[in-house]
Amino acid sequence: MMMRRPVLILLLFILFILEGTVVPWLIPDAWQTRIVPNLVYIVILFVSIYNHRHTALVLGIVFGLLHDVVFYGQIMGTYSFAMGLSAYLMGFIFQTPRAPMPIMMTVIILGSLLLDSTLYGIYTLFQMGHTSYDWALVHHILPDVFVHFVFGLIIYVPLRSQLEKISKLNQKEKAA
Amino acid sequence: MLKLFKLLGNKRLFVILIGLVMFVALMGFTLGPRTNLSWPEKFLRDTVGFVQNIFYKPAGYVAGLFEDIGNMNDIHKENEQLKIALAQYTREKAQFNFMEAENKTLQEALHFTETQLEKYNYEFHIAQVVSVNTDPNNRSLVIDIGGRDGVKVDMSVTSVDGLVGVVSKVSNFTSTVKLITTMDVKDPNTNAIAATALNSQDKTFGIIESYDEKTGKLLMTGIKQEDPLKKGDTIVSSGSGGLYPRGMIIGTVDSVQVGEMGLLRTAIISPSASFVDWKQLFVVFTPEVPE
Repeated sequence: MMMRRPVLILLLFILFILEGTVVPWLIPDAWQTRIVPNLVYIVILFVSIYNHRHTALVLGIVFGLLHDVVFYGQIMGTYSFAMGLSAYLMGFIFQTPRAPMPIMMTVIILGSLLLDSTLYGIYTLFQMGHTSYDWALVHHILPDVFVHFVFGLIIYVPLRSQLEKISKLNQKEKAA
Repeated sequence: MLKLFKLLGNKRLFVILIGLVMFVALMGFTLGPRTNLSWPEKFLRDTVGFVQNIFYKPAGYVAGLFEDIGNMNDIHKENEQLKIALAQYTREKAQFNFMEAENKTLQEALHFTETQLEKYNYEFHIAQVVSVNTDPNNRSLVIDIGGRDGVKVDMSVTSVDGLVGVVSKVSNFTSTVKLITTMDVKDPNTNAIAATALNSQDKTFGIIESYDEKTGKLLMTGIKQEDPLKKGDTIVSSGSGGLYPRGMIIGTVDSVQVGEMGLLRTAIISPSASFVDWKQLFVVFTPEVPE
């Protein structure tokens, strides 16, 4: 039973790999420049709600940094900052171990909006993007929300049960 | 302000502020022209690149299989066109060989130095794409050759169709390619491409320095009034002044308009590289310039 935490990290790592390699092939050509699926972030949101926001903060920063280092084009730290911050904030507002499905889905929608808007903000701040927010919203932020939503629905049942087991384990450790 | 302190608790606010400052510092530090990576970055990139390499190719094959079944009908037509093109190439090759030989003798007669002779002797090294980042503001690719194979920062990368981008970061076994779609006039770190049109290299000149994200087109500015550039011309890099080697195909002209200032004209260019479904790319090795 103690193996669950490493399994979670391994899952996140595998998702990160899939995100850059397999997922681009699944998206139709016309949409490849528009959809930026961030599957790792969705799992981190689940952790933020059902486990603890601090865990989510650390995971967000670590996996964001991984993304930044591997796809280092012009700037580093954007994903790390955006993923850490938005996962933490979502956990801060909504964290309840017994959150029902509609709340989790709301969190996914709000969370991915927050993530993409933060990224948009940072790029605009450093003068790397010059598009208007309206355009960015329609062009890639909303399609992203949709993809994240569908992915969230798919992983909801298995992931939640696993995370609840981890939480129970934590409580037992605390009690003991 | 005091209320905010109370609401968040002193310690937490402190941590948040320090975190914020750290991130701003990190972003500011990495934004500048930074060519060398530290070893933890290199190690991480190579390890992840190795794992990604295992996944990317099979996924490409499977996706390619489905696509091939879909494209079965077009193949016959494409084959015919390719045959015609091939015939033309074989005819031109004889002429090309003559001209090359003549060029060489002339260069020798004029006592070209070794550097001048080697200047346009480019090597194309094939590279496999390992993974893709589709973030619209920071699009980049990872390819599977790196510092060990002689890749250096700022080398040009092309696909079969045309120019794709430049190498932005290099680690030992992988390197990151920054796509030309991130090109931007306001960014101090990007390099504009000096461009000219195929078949009128001596008459046409312009500078490609930005990419319009909304329309997906490149903008070529600074074209003179008397320039014969017209719709449908193929744009290649001219190799004068800088980073990009000579003769990289960039795209075709969509339209030519009067520029913002009224004196010079601006051309809109649709890039010939497709920027989707990446497989093989070529890194262009330019000959070393002796110091």
